[in-house]
Amino acid sequence: MIPFEFFLILAAILFVIGAYGVMTKSNAIVVLMCIELMLNAANINFVAFGAYNTDVMGQAFVIMSISVAAAEVAVGIAILLNAYKLRKTTELTDTELTSLRW
Amino acid sequence: MDFPILSLLILIPLIGAILTLFMGGSRQKSAKYVAAVFSAITLVLAVFVLFNNSEFASMAESCEWIKTDFITISFSLAIDGLSVLMVFLTALLVFLVVVFSAEAEEVETDRPNYYHTLLLAMEVGLMGVYTASDYFLFYIMWEVTLIPMYFMISWYGGPRRHYAAIKFFIYTHVASLVMLIGIFAMGFHAAELTGGAVDFSFASIADAMHGANEGFQALVFALLFFGFAVKMPAVPFHTWLPDAHTEAPTGGSVLLAGVMLKMGSYGIIRICLEALPAGAEYWQWVIIVIGLVSIVYGAYACIAQKDLKKMVAFSSISHMGMVMLGIGCLSDAGITFAIFQMFAHGLITAILFMVCGMTGHKVGTREIPLLGGLAGRMPIYATFMMFAFMASLGLPGLVGFWGEFPVIFAFYEFIVANDMLWLLLFCMLSLMLTAGYYLWAMQRTLFGPETTKIDLSHVHDVNKTEFAAMAVLCVLVAFFGMWPDAALQFIEPYTDGLIAMLGVI
Amino acid sequence: MIEYTWLIPFVPMLCFVLIGIFGQKTPEKGGYIAIAGAAVSFVLSALIAYEYLTGADYPNAVVDSICWFHIGDLQLNLGYYVDGLTCMMMLFSSFISTLIFIYSVGYMGDQGGRKKRYYAEVSMFLSGMLGLIVSSNFLEMFIFWEVMGLCSYLLIGFWSFRHPEGDAASANAASAAKKAFLVTRFGDVCLMGGLFVLLGAFGSLDFVDLFNPAKISAVNPDTLTLGMLLCFGGVIGKSAQFPLHDWLPDAMAGPTTVSSLIHAATMVKAGVYLVARGFPLFVQNPDVMLFVGLIGGFTAFFTATMALNNMNIKRVLAYSTLSQLGYMILSLGAGGYLFAIGMDSGNAALMAAGTAGFIAGCFHMMNHAFFKALLFMCSGSVIHAVGTEDMRLMGGLRKQMPITSITMLLGSLSIAGFPFFSGFWSKDLVIEAAFEAGDHNILFMVMWVLAIVTAFMTAFYMFRMWFMTFAGEKGKNTLHAAEHGHGESPKSMTMPLCILAVFAVASGFLIMFGLDGMLSFTQLASGAFQVGGGHTEGFEYFTELFTNPYTYLTIVLALVGIFIAYLMYVKRSINPGSFNRNGESILYKILTKRWGFPDLYNQLSWKLGYGVARGVDYIDRQVVDGTVNGLSGAVVGGGEAVSKAQTGDVHDYSSIVLLGIAVLSVLFIVIAKIMGGI
Repeated sequence: MIPFEFFLILAAILFVIGAYGVMTKSNAIVVLMCIELMLNAANINFVAFGAYNTDVMGQAFVIMSISVAAAEVAVGIAILLNAYKLRKTTELTDTELTSLRW
Repeated sequence: MDFPILSLLILIPLIGAILTLFMGGSRQKSAKYVAAVFSAITLVLAVFVLFNNSEFASMAESCEWIKTDFITISFSLAIDGLSVLMVFLTALLVFLVVVFSAEAEEVETDRPNYYHTLLLAMEVGLMGVYTASDYFLFYIMWEVTLIPMYFMISWYGGPRRHYAAIKFFIYTHVASLVMLIGIFAMGFHAAELTGGAVDFSFASIADAMHGANEGFQALVFALLFFGFAVKMPAVPFHTWLPDAHTEAPTGGSVLLAGVMLKMGSYGIIRICLEALPAGAEYWQWVIIVIGLVSIVYGAYACIAQKDLKKMVAFSSISHMGMVMLGIGCLSDAGITFAIFQMFAHGLITAILFMVCGMTGHKVGTREIPLLGGLAGRMPIYATFMMFAFMASLGLPGLVGFWGEFPVIFAFYEFIVANDMLWLLLFCMLSLMLTAGYYLWAMQRTLFGPETTKIDLSHVHDVNKTEFAAMAVLCVLVAFFGMWPDAALQFIEPYTDGLIAMLGVI
Repeated sequence: MIEYTWLIPFVPMLCFVLIGIFGQKTPEKGGYIAIAGAAVSFVLSALIAYEYLTGADYPNAVVDSICWFHIGDLQLNLGYYVDGLTCMMMLFSSFISTLIFIYSVGYMGDQGGRKKRYYAEVSMFLSGMLGLIVSSNFLEMFIFWEVMGLCSYLLIGFWSFRHPEGDAASANAASAAKKAFLVTRFGDVCLMGGLFVLLGAFGSLDFVDLFNPAKISAVNPDTLTLGMLLCFGGVIGKSAQFPLHDWLPDAMAGPTTVSSLIHAATMVKAGVYLVARGFPLFVQNPDVMLFVGLIGGFTAFFTATMALNNMNIKRVLAYSTLSQLGYMILSLGAGGYLFAIGMDSGNAALMAAGTAGFIAGCFHMMNHAFFKALLFMCSGSVIHAVGTEDMRLMGGLRKQMPITSITMLLGSLSIAGFPFFSGFWSKDLVIEAAFEAGDHNILFMVMWVLAIVTAFMTAFYMFRMWFMTFAGEKGKNTLHAAEHGHGESPKSMTMPLCILAVFAVASGFLIMFGLDGMLSFTQLASGAFQVGGGHTEGFEYFTELFTNPYTYLTIVLALVGIFIAYLMYVKRSINPGSFNRNGESILYKILTKRWGFPDLYNQLSWKLGYGVARGVDYIDRQVVDGTVNGLSGAVVGGGEAVSKAQTGDVHDYSSIVLLGIAVLSVLFIVIAKIMGGI
């Protein structure tokens, strides 16, 4: 059996990669993908804890979380598309988009 | 009585409000007729209730609304000597406002159907507040009155209407949230004391609260009292009122001063006194001091006002201080005539605001320094104004006097018992000041040389619907002034019961 | 019949309503309705007075009342109270009112549509006056008291807009009306305080309870003293006593008929009537009565001074009204003082002397009503003809207006206290009462001296007025009136003058035919107080007055006053200017400024009223509202400041979120370690 720590380490690596991407990348699409990475890191943890504690709730939550993530991406991309239409950019650091704040 | 008359009092204006709401476009002009019909029906029902005062107990209605294992909220309505006068006043004033503003330009030109929707919606809330016998229903109805008034001010108001409307809303809403905390505290503490579920009905909470210790009663009393004092309004929580009145349209002002302010004093009597007698005793001096300060402060502020309507708004503060003072005496005479003063002030102030509103939209300005000598050009208007001012300054034989004289007498008895006779000076000062600002205002608006600062050539006197509305009120003011027992016969049984209960503590 | 007493005030009130609704359509705009109402009231008064005075109940008061409503446990009633004083009051009030209403038809004839308002208001006023007189309790009395105040306000301000003489006059009328209402309101508020005290002490305001000796003795004397002093505050306001006298001269801005009816014959008597009515309570403390007497005596003297140099015919009459009211109050005060010390010491002779003072005060009230109404109506007739109130512009009107000049002469002789005219009898009785009281308190002796001096001044200024108006050379407006053929006033005006002149001359004799018995105030052996039914002295007054050397003193002083006026204004052998250095002397200026009272009132009302109000308004705007606006400003400003933290860059947000999570995790671990977990 694969030691439990391996899963946690994998998840941590994935999460950190995702977080790094979110914080550094300026393209909105990439940022969205990085968010997906972070979500999946959490999903791996869920499954791992579920399997090792013999509790199916972990897997159930993952399915829930995947579907939520899908919906979220759909919404996110829709917003991006509109933003692109109106402001002609997907660069998050561009003033065209930062000026949306208030 | 099998007939759900109290529910109808709420339901009929509600139907009217919904109907007028959908009367946009070409049907806008006929909204006033619909509103008149529905408010007239409500008035007839209210009068019917008034004349069946022996059957008040059988008119109560109650049905479960929300019920879980630990909480009970019911849609229950009841009526007694205190609320019946307010119900009558509400129905009367809404109807008269509809009649009064039938030809008013400020309403005619701008979405008249919504104006009537708001009026009727306000009537729904007011009827609910005055008949509710469940705290939750009471609170909801309390908030229901707020929203139409907000829109009334911000849609149909004067130049600074948005400021006034938001100020009005936030001020009174904050107050009612504090009140809500008090209501919850009472509800949960009552459940603790009785060991049962939380039941928000007036009767069960009042029963349980009488057993609560004085500290708790005093605390909750303070929370509730704050909520009600802002609504009344009592100095120093009054500043929303002058602004709201200055900006509100005439009809809105009439209802605001005529019946909405009474919600505050109604709440103090209905909730603070009925449920928390020990708290009332604890805070008695505070109530009296706030009342006295309101009376004198309001009267002084009136003298300095330049806007006629703002002056009348401050006079409302002064007169509602009289109500507060009567309540503070915690005696039979004090409370009876405080309630009478609520009723009296409702009638008088309605005429006052109608008159001031007319000044605004007939003459074009309400600034006293710009006016002068209007009596020559608008004799009927001048007569009404003089009548209303005289009634408001407490001329004997008119209804205002009976709200003042006995209340001050009750206060006199209280201060004699407490050996502080000098406090009477403040009451006397306020009576002087009241006469002063009214007469001075009349001198500067109605009498003297005709003003040259504004063009009076197009000014018309009172029109027919305005005349009718004000004449009805004047007749009532004179009627109740000559025969105060007509109103006292409702109040006295109620206060007898209340005093008996206050004596129990 | 007596059970219909309530009709007496009710009929004029009905007229008020009728005129208000239908007045515009009836001839004379409701004038005839008003006259009919007043006449009906007079007839009713006469019938009721006759029935009462000849009935079995006399001299006990006839009282009946119904319950009106309750204040707590206290019952308030509506009812009537008839005794000798009531009879006299309602008779002369309704009689004079009827005459003045008739006179108004002529005097107000040119006022057009305004007449409706005039007649409605005077009818309501009459209702108030008669209601006050027949009231059976103080509260009812107070209501009618205030109704009269309202009517007085309305009628003084009758020309407060669109004055026929222009804008300045209407502004003046508006200001005078306000002043009258406010100054009397000050008294009314005191009276209201007095009612609170009485209601609290007695548990009732019915005269029957208040005048019950058993109940009076149960009340704390200090409380009663406070109550009566407060009530007297109302009297000071309504009867225009010092220091609240100054509204009355200004009140002359109203039509002359109004001055005649309200500000001379009836309303201002309400205060005197209140003292007379509340006599059983007032006499409980001699010090209260001393105060009453001092106020009255001082007012009599003080206000007479201002009449000496006034050029306005109505103002002179107004000051003389004030002065005569002072006499009445002085008389009641002196009589009450004697009665009070008599009651304390059980001295029946003192009480009888006190009764004489009471009679004198009431008697003078009636006589004054006749001659002062007459004088005002005469002045109205003059003003009607010459169109001015300034006496310097009149003069020499005797030929043009024979009836007016003769009736006014009779009235002037009466008020000056010329022997056998009505004013002579009552004024000398008043002075005698003050003299009697002077034996027991030196202050009343001072008042007696002032009263004598006042008698002299009265004679002087009344004849100064008469000579300036009717004698001497023809003034500017006299000539102008003659050119336009404005001669004697119409019959509707001169007829009431003639009738009143008869009374002004002869009403004094009534005291020899039983009036004093009707007005006597006595304490019965049972301790109860009673008005009427006393001993009637008849012609003893005649011998009493003419054997008293002081009577001759006043007669001589009055004659000297008349003579000086004659020398100054007819013969011109004394130049009035030599006394006042042609209007330059300080005293003359002070008198012209009315001893500075209008300024004092203005200063007080500006400082205590408007000044404080401005302060309150400032506090309201800046402090109270400022706090509210400041709070909302702080919330909005704070929100704006914090919103600057939003850069709009997702990277910043996500960094902060992650940083926060990291900090929270570290904190969590540290706390868990410290708490001893994990």
